[in-house]
Amino acid sequence: MLSRLPFGTQKKIIIISFVALPLLLLLTFSYYPALELVRLSFTNWDGMSPDKDWVGFKNYHEVFSNSEIFGVFKHNVAYFVVGIVQNIAAIYFAVVLNGKLKGKYFFRLLLFLPYILNGVAVAYAFGYVFDTTNGSLNFVLGKAGLGSETSWLGTEKFVNYTLASIGFWRFMGFNMVIYLAALQSIPGDLYEAASIDGANKWQQFRFITLPNIYKIVELNLFLTVTGALEVFDLPFVLTNGGPAGASETFVMKILETAFQFNNYGLASAMSVVLLIGVVIVISIQRFFLSRKGD
Amino acid sequence: MKKSLSLLLVSALSLTMLAGCGSDDKKEETKAADTDKESTSAASTDTEAGSTDGAGDISGKVVFLTNRTDMVGKQYSDYKKRFEEKYPNVKIEFEAVTDYEKTEKIRIATGEYPDVVLIGSGIPNSDFPKYFEPLDDIQFSGDISFKDLKSYEGHMYGVSSGGSTVGIVYNKKAFEKAGITAVPKTLDEFYAAAQKLKDAGITPLASNFKDKWPLDTWIYDVPTMIGGASDHQNKRADSDTPYTMDGVYGQSWSILRTLYEKGFLEKDINSTNWENSKKDVAQGKFGMYLLGNWVINQVIENGAASEDVGFFPFPTDNSGTLKAPLNPDWFYGVNKNGNVAAAKAFVKWMIEESGFDDFAGLIPTLKDKQSNLAQLAEFNGYNPQYIEAGPSNDVATSIQNAAQIDQGKVVQEFVLAPDQQSILDKYNKLWANAKKSVVK
Repeated sequence: MLSRLPFGTQKKIIIISFVALPLLLLLTFSYYPALELVRLSFTNWDGMSPDKDWVGFKNYHEVFSNSEIFGVFKHNVAYFVVGIVQNIAAIYFAVVLNGKLKGKYFFRLLLFLPYILNGVAVAYAFGYVFDTTNGSLNFVLGKAGLGSETSWLGTEKFVNYTLASIGFWRFMGFNMVIYLAALQSIPGDLYEAASIDGANKWQQFRFITLPNIYKIVELNLFLTVTGALEVFDLPFVLTNGGPAGASETFVMKILETAFQFNNYGLASAMSVVLLIGVVIVISIQRFFLSRKGD
Repeated sequence: MKKSLSLLLVSALSLTMLAGCGSDDKKEETKAADTDKESTSAASTDTEAGSTDGAGDISGKVVFLTNRTDMVGKQYSDYKKRFEEKYPNVKIEFEAVTDYEKTEKIRIATGEYPDVVLIGSGIPNSDFPKYFEPLDDIQFSGDISFKDLKSYEGHMYGVSSGGSTVGIVYNKKAFEKAGITAVPKTLDEFYAAAQKLKDAGITPLASNFKDKWPLDTWIYDVPTMIGGASDHQNKRADSDTPYTMDGVYGQSWSILRTLYEKGFLEKDINSTNWENSKKDVAQGKFGMYLLGNWVINQVIENGAASEDVGFFPFPTDNSGTLKAPLNPDWFYGVNKNGNVAAAKAFVKWMIEESGFDDFAGLIPTLKDKQSNLAQLAEFNGYNPQYIEAGPSNDVATSIQNAAQIDQGKVVQEFVLAPDQQSILDKYNKLWANAKKSVVK
């Protein structure tokens, strides 16, 4: 049937029919809920009742004026700091494992494996590592004479860093694999020429490797920033926001607002604020990185 | 023209696909609905037939929508046999579903739901007359608990399937090892016993502080015991400062704080592990829990011998009179459009004869009936004064939600903070502000 039509029309039909389905799925499961979220954020819906009253910007006002709500963002700083360190480590390992090294495929696999594990399972497993009385970390530290009484998940000052370190362990390998792929696309003769000109390893890294993987660094930082802002599973499983709310993150706060306090309107407003926050942070980051890159 | 044709084609394509998905669902739904209709219509016709049979004689089919999927084919087969022996004209059927409240809500919304259901907490009392039959006329052999909880305008619509209480679940072996000969009857004796446990190298009380929900007993039940009344959560609605140091909450949480300060809780209360704590209590590494009687079976499942697990009322003061809260479990409700007579007989039978309360570890709803559970018998041996839970009050709940107060977190802060009064002041302020916006 199609073959009778002109080629241009055939092409259009094929393209549209192939694009329509993903678009339809995207619209129904991603854009429609997102728009609905924005709409709910202007109402006072309690999650059950059929009537949703329009309350204007009241929810947004609440998000920004209530320090209880907005203050939890400072807990995310730890994830951000550790995320930066994580990217540096990932580049380091990528460069090392891209060179001539015995068993490099084995090490790559080893570093990447944590990423495959289910997040909740990882959190659960680390619960045993960081346990104060029976935990393996305190046991090892105790044997090494470094004190075995540290409450890793119960000290307000560094509970977020403890949690972020698990994120480091889990996502470093993933970042590394992305860097590795980028590194492998750099032609080898560049390094050859550089070494003939007398460049040392550091100079090669700084002037050849880094400029070539700039886009990828940007991508990884994007993933790190959004990951840091949206972290949820680790504190949810391991500390439940404790001790006394010191490790509560913004997403946990949203969940609590919606499902415990039945305030879906406010929770939607919080989600929208988070979305806008991510967009702003990414824009700033792109602004600085792209200027340097050019 | 061509463009619109291609668009039409595409939309037709996607439509047929979507329709394909949709029709499958529909088929299943109608099928389910059909079977429902069959059962209920069969039931109703049977009742009509039954009522002509003569007074007092009941017959027909009764469907019970239950949440205990684990009992299907086991205890329920036995219940069916015994019930049908007593009422030969009635055919009883058990339908077990997971995610009970959601399923029930949908079924009730369609208007076709089983004859006997458990009343979900999401259904407001004022809606009862729309769905359920008043159960005031069931002649129980004795007085029953929780008459007023699921009632509206003087009629009772729900009968509790059993009750539970809160007290100290303890490992008898651990108490023996620490040289505790008699269970503590006053708060000072309780502290002394905890000290003995601690001296014997046993963690006295497993608080499971980190997980927050085990602290619920300190929010709901211990204040009930201290104040001698179960309506303290509702009474918050009348006050601008519900959380005070000398009020029930301050007193309750101060006990927990004292336990923490004296080192009677886990070594690091911010790093506790609920699953492990059950094993530790079973093995005697931890001495006690302050939780509901439901935890007893879980401790036994984790390796403790039943005779080694004891249960006594928690002494909240030094007066020597022991108190214990009495909290309801699920409530049976009867579909007002179903086979009412037979359903009522079934509810009566479940409460009086089935033995479900003992199986589920619940306190019998009949006030005179003694539980067969050894631990509950021991608990009752100390003659605690039971304080029955009352109906909940929506105002207090809405204020709490508006103020975004997570009481579990409040307890955590109260215990950990250097200055308790400032914590209470902070939450009282949140409460007062929210109260202004909720109560107008």
